Amino acid sequence: MEDTVLEDIEIASPSMVKQAARDFAAALAETPQFKAFEQAAYAFRQNQAAQLALQAYQQKQQSLRALLMLNALSAEQHDELERLESAFITQPVVQKYFTAQAELATLCQALGDALSESIGLNYAAACGVSCCG
Amino acid sequence: MQTVLNPSMQEAADALIGNLLASEAFVRCQQAHARLNEDRHRQAHTLLEQLSQAQADLRKKQANSGVIQTEIDNLRTLQEQVQHNNVIMTYAQTQQEAVNFLREINDEISQLLGINFASFANHTTC
Repeated sequence: MEDTVLEDIEIASPSMVKQAARDFAAALAETPQFKAFEQAAYAFRQNQAAQLALQAYQQKQQSLRALLMLNALSAEQHDELERLESAFITQPVVQKYFTAQAELATLCQALGDALSESIGLNYAAACGVSCCG
Repeated sequence: MQTVLNPSMQEAADALIGNLLASEAFVRCQQAHARLNEDRHRQAHTLLEQLSQAQADLRKKQANSGVIQTEIDNLRTLQEQVQHNNVIMTYAQTQQEAVNFLREINDEISQLLGINFASFANHTTC
């Protein structure tokens, strides 16, 4: 491998870069989008009806996983799953959570785009994030 | 619609970008990339283009079930040439080191926020 020359170049130490990363995180934590997301996430975690609706939907999804993968649900199973999903996502606290999450994602995407453009690497992809997070 | 960043967020983002670009991992990667694009290393650049083209051609033909052995052999030859090219391998290695460092930085950010910042920054969804 060819050696690179680092003399005459001012290098930022890893601790300096990590400090800049912490400052970046602190600035992001102060944005209205992040604060709204934290509040919505807390309200969602505390809301018993929303948690029960989520649990019911996830349990049904889990029990039908094999059939879902084969796309082999009966009409009744499909309807039941849709009903449970709807019962979950129509909870006001859940809708608020999704809205706050989407607004924070928009901000994070703008920041990620700025980072990617400047450093010449796709930030999310480089950090190993797939479409499923 | 373009998201407008508040001044302190913009300042923090600019500082992070500046520090990342000045980190050893990124400086090495930039230098290796510049070397790859130098005229005297045109062969390395051409080799990468040929490999990329051969991979794309093979993918297309695989989809149409029309791959022939000579094309697979050609791809393997190009892959071997790439693996023996010092300029390309240096670039690949430094890029991997930059990626590893970026992951450490994302961990630092994510730990403080309690969310995976990269997941939120990702545009694609299932």
